[in-house]
Amino acid sequence: MVGLSLGEQHFIQGGIAQDLRCDGRKRLTYRPIHVETGVIPQANGSARIRIGATEVIASVKAELGKPSLSQPDKGKVFIYIDCSSTAEPAFEGRGGEELSAELSTALHCCLLGAKSGAGAGIDRTSLVVVEGKICWDLYIDGLVVSSDGNLLDALGAAIKAALSNTGIPSVKVTAGAASDEQPEVDISDEEFLQFDTSGVPVIITLTKVGREYIVDATPEEESQMSSAISISVNKKGHICGITKRGGAGLDPSVILDMVSVAQYVSGKLMNKLDSEIASAEAEDES
Amino acid sequence: MREIQLQLSQTQKVRLQKALEHLESLSSKVNSDASVTIADSIPVNHEDGVLKGHGTADLEGEVVATLCGVVERVNKLVYVRTLRSRYKPEVGDIVIGRVIEVAQKRWRLDINYSQNAYLMLSAMNMPDGVQRRRTALDELNMRCIFEEADVICAEVRGFQQDGLHLQARSQKYGKLSTGQLITVTPYLVKRQKQHFHHLEQYGIDLIIGCNGFIWVGEHVEVRDDMVEDQVSQSDPQVLIPNKNSVSLEEQEKNYTALETRKHICRAANAVRVLSTLGFIITLEIIKGVIDLSLSMNLDIHDMLGSEFCVLVAEKEAERRSSNKKKR
Repeated sequence: MVGLSLGEQHFIQGGIAQDLRCDGRKRLTYRPIHVETGVIPQANGSARIRIGATEVIASVKAELGKPSLSQPDKGKVFIYIDCSSTAEPAFEGRGGEELSAELSTALHCCLLGAKSGAGAGIDRTSLVVVEGKICWDLYIDGLVVSSDGNLLDALGAAIKAALSNTGIPSVKVTAGAASDEQPEVDISDEEFLQFDTSGVPVIITLTKVGREYIVDATPEEESQMSSAISISVNKKGHICGITKRGGAGLDPSVILDMVSVAQYVSGKLMNKLDSEIASAEAEDES
Repeated sequence: MREIQLQLSQTQKVRLQKALEHLESLSSKVNSDASVTIADSIPVNHEDGVLKGHGTADLEGEVVATLCGVVERVNKLVYVRTLRSRYKPEVGDIVIGRVIEVAQKRWRLDINYSQNAYLMLSAMNMPDGVQRRRTALDELNMRCIFEEADVICAEVRGFQQDGLHLQARSQKYGKLSTGQLITVTPYLVKRQKQHFHHLEQYGIDLIIGCNGFIWVGEHVEVRDDMVEDQVSQSDPQVLIPNKNSVSLEEQEKNYTALETRKHICRAANAVRVLSTLGFIITLEIIKGVIDLSLSMNLDIHDMLGSEFCVLVAEKEAERRSSNKKKR
């Protein structure tokens, strides 16, 4: 992205300070969000989200696997993000790898919580089939098709929508197997269990420009940021994960203020997202 | 049907379809014999030697089109001109460009063309307004005039040996600050008599560049250099560009007034709506869109919503049909 002239930068900073951004939005207004679910029929669940001109696709695939020895009662979730070269010329070849790694780590942190699974947004105990022997492995893949700022929020929303769309096949375990043998399973093709997404959080990225914070920054506004904090908040208003980007240091009181602003914004965003996902699913079925 | 990147409800889709069909029926029909698609053979008199130009190919003795567009003939040359192509500069075009590099005695600008354009130091007015030969000191002080990423308005001078050259000799050209730059596809901007517009009632400047860059910003009074007194300079020295060492409070005082900012954002959103719908961008239609949004008391951000887009399309269809009836 070519830089901005001093005059344009001054204009953007002034707009944020006066609560009137370049496209007329207020500081805490999101661009229009559009959700489509079921875009990838071969996957267990998928969704495409468009926020303004940013477009991302998320897909969920479930495979049977063995739970890790340290956590025999939990399934495994892997999140991997890929930045396609159609989004930016700079992403061609290995150019997008740094950004992809950063986004994957941030999503892991926001959605999966600690290593022990405590405080996670996605409940992994629901993925276990036979404790200690068989569990579901969820592979969540995200693809950035078009990048116009605010990728993390879009990916978080896409993963939430894809998980609501996910159907895990129901599994019948043949009874009477010895305890040290691998039990046989029968994966049904017909019955599906909808994944429970009431606990999945939404991610809100607050970008600090000057003294004020904005939500859903465009690339021009992101270039003016001093720092940005991404907070994932669930339906109860609890914080599931926090990531900070950007070079400038933040006073702890500022961080607490940003967290409360994020909680306020998350209520509206969660409702909007849930209604969009519901209407997308309804359209998908019709 | 052109594809429009908007989420429209069923009724909105129907209304938009109707409005666009109405507009199509109003437009004058181009001679349909001249339009070709790929692999159409172009009727040509083979006895006169024919020169096959851009967009044509020779297939089994027939001249066949390789592009979709309109066939143009100039003496013996036959070529296909596409309707939606890259910006093609003509001498005298007003363009807006962004500085990519400060090179020796010239600036290199990006003007949304296949090459970068050059603005020579000698094709610029000096800051003190004096007409003189550019010295080595002027060359070293080039960065004080324009830096990388600056937005500049200039006029196309022509194609020289090393590329496209621009000139910015008048006071109305030069650096643009305090505003926003919007990019639209170049074919939406047709060459007009006036590209610089000053909307007095809103206090903003609107510059419609032929290359698809449109600048909306605060109004800047055009200074007349001849009238100004000569500012006496001390010993000529190498100037260091003044980086912003201004504190946050001082910067805050310099921000644009909220009223002007609202008008700038409204005009910018009007341009964005027209670009989404694919209408030709002129001052008249931009003013119409701004007036429509003000009359509806619409929030500035709602101008980018689907309902307003459909309304703009319908209003444009009405306006053109009433124009046609007047003639």
